Amino acid sequence: MKALHDFVKKFEPDHGTSPFLHTTYDAFYTFLFQPPAVTQGGVHVRDGMDLKRQMVWVVLALQVLYIFGTWNIGQQHFSALGQHTGLLEGFHLKIVYGLIQVIPIFIVTHVVGLGIEFLYAAKKGHSVEEGFLVSGALIPLIMPPDIPLWILAVSVAFAVILGKEAFGGTGMNIWNIALLARVFIFFAYPTTISGDEVWISGIEKIDVGVYASEAYNFVHHGFDWIFAGLGWNTFGQGGTLVADGFTGATPLGIAAKEGWEGVSAVYTQSEIFWGTIPGSIGESSVPLILFGMAFIMFTRIADYRIIVGGIIGLLVAGFMLNAIAPAELTEDTPGIFKFMAIHPLRQMIMGSFLFAITFMATDPVSSADTPTGKWIYGFLIAFIGLIIRVLNPAYPEGWMLSILLLNTFAPLIDHYVYQANIKRRAKRTSEMAKTRDELITKRNDDVEIFTPQNAEGYRPVGNVGNY
Amino acid sequence: MGDFLNIFIKSAFIENMVLAYFLGMCSFLAVSKTLTTATGLGLAVIFVLGITMPINWVINEFILIPAELEFLRFILFIAVIASTVQLVEMVVEKFSPGLYAALGIFLPLITVNCAILGGSLFMVSREYNLTESIAFGLGGGFGWFLAIIALAAIRERIRYSNVPPALRGLGMAFLITGLMGIAFLSLTGIDPAVFAGWSGVAE
Repeated sequence: MKALHDFVKKFEPDHGTSPFLHTTYDAFYTFLFQPPAVTQGGVHVRDGMDLKRQMVWVVLALQVLYIFGTWNIGQQHFSALGQHTGLLEGFHLKIVYGLIQVIPIFIVTHVVGLGIEFLYAAKKGHSVEEGFLVSGALIPLIMPPDIPLWILAVSVAFAVILGKEAFGGTGMNIWNIALLARVFIFFAYPTTISGDEVWISGIEKIDVGVYASEAYNFVHHGFDWIFAGLGWNTFGQGGTLVADGFTGATPLGIAAKEGWEGVSAVYTQSEIFWGTIPGSIGESSVPLILFGMAFIMFTRIADYRIIVGGIIGLLVAGFMLNAIAPAELTEDTPGIFKFMAIHPLRQMIMGSFLFAITFMATDPVSSADTPTGKWIYGFLIAFIGLIIRVLNPAYPEGWMLSILLLNTFAPLIDHYVYQANIKRRAKRTSEMAKTRDELITKRNDDVEIFTPQNAEGYRPVGNVGNY
Repeated sequence: MGDFLNIFIKSAFIENMVLAYFLGMCSFLAVSKTLTTATGLGLAVIFVLGITMPINWVINEFILIPAELEFLRFILFIAVIASTVQLVEMVVEKFSPGLYAALGIFLPLITVNCAILGGSLFMVSREYNLTESIAFGLGGGFGWFLAIIALAAIRERIRYSNVPPALRGLGMAFLITGLMGIAFLSLTGIDPAVFAGWSGVAE
């Protein structure tokens, strides 16, 4: 270990002559080793647990979602084509297909985001801030698998420069970086990410109701060569029409028009629960997200108040909408009321509620700071989010926008919680002072109460009175 | 009552004066440095909008339209707004001299706050009746109040951040307003009427 450390140390560039190289070196150095500077003496915290190490826990919790998402991209692609429909059939093809989609997204996100971070750190002359680690891991998970890479690059640059660096860097942003990147695409390139169109990778809409897969490119053919050599299934040429009855709509896209009846005609409830449905890369699998939620709640990276408050908010909003919806759904009932009638627990597993409340809302920087504020913040995210999802016909899903909306109000919530706290304590102090004054008056008036002054043989100490 | 609430919610959250129409920006940006002054100005705007809207409605309905004097609308509306602001100014000066000093020139400048004249003109073009115009005035004022205190809270939070020198002050206020506008887009398109339930008749 020592030899390795010395070996890495040999490459350290000089800070004065080449600041950019030094900050880059420093970023990787602190990523590999515990930072060398710890407080000496005194009662200060002497833990090597810095921001970077804390963030790695979140990134670790996201890894299962990456693995599942990679497979699911392939699974959705092939089951749309009617090939290898079994979950484990053609497993190598699905994984390779997913990797070909995910890896470029991951690389572009990190090159753009970290590149901007490194440039800013060199310009400001301090070490690289670690803030992009989690954002960089989250951004690919909330993108559709087919996102054009240049749009991704523009959106990441927008989020990092205007959302973070303008506010003073890591820990200073008001809005969640990953969601700013997504919302930028959502409003600037709506056709790419609208959420109720085709979310399956490599499937093109040719005409109304006619879909076909794109032809495979040279990367796929390269893998075909290997697989053929091994005697396994190969991708083939692609460009085939998709299976009959394929719609490509996400459950929420269907639910907005036809309610749960329409959803259950296409997807079973267990499919929605386990996540073998089209969607963003990492949002779909409920059990894996619950695993990640337990993991970051147990390690106390995420605050349980936001998550529990969010679940309560979703149930309250869900039951409220259920109460508004007509008791019996008929053919004529508008889709919006059919959507309202869906049970809140089904609302919870559909779409990306759990992903958003676990990994997006609990961001410690952009959420409210105070414990009471966190309850309010989590509750309102879920409440407003469900209302946006169900009642706003313009957006199929609401969590991204409701989290951004509550990020806007988080400082205000904190302010009022502080003020209430100050008021409560001032009141308590004044009450205590009042009780004390009363006691003193009582004691002066009533000689029966024992005080040093009315004890026998009392003599004041010090230079007081007629001594 | 349902109608009243609909218009209130719509004008406060869904069609927010500042963040959807970008009206009343000058005082929005200038007085949002601290929360106390922002709260004071916000309350003043609620008050002025809530009072001028019905007065302007009465003037428009019973004087301007019967006498066919619609071309005087701007002048009369501004006159009503200016006199209301004068009233608010005297009240604030009497009861809260501290706030009066903090608001400074921006209190009289509510007169030319475009949100207020804009509100009255929206009221005319959308053909609201008296109760609707009261709801619209209070709702629009409340939305403005909410936006300015949110902006002030954010600006208080970033006060000690290492913001690039070129962006400090107003630059950041513009940037934050834009991003707040994005966040508020989440509510555009919701029709509060659906809260009342479905009548059972297909449209």
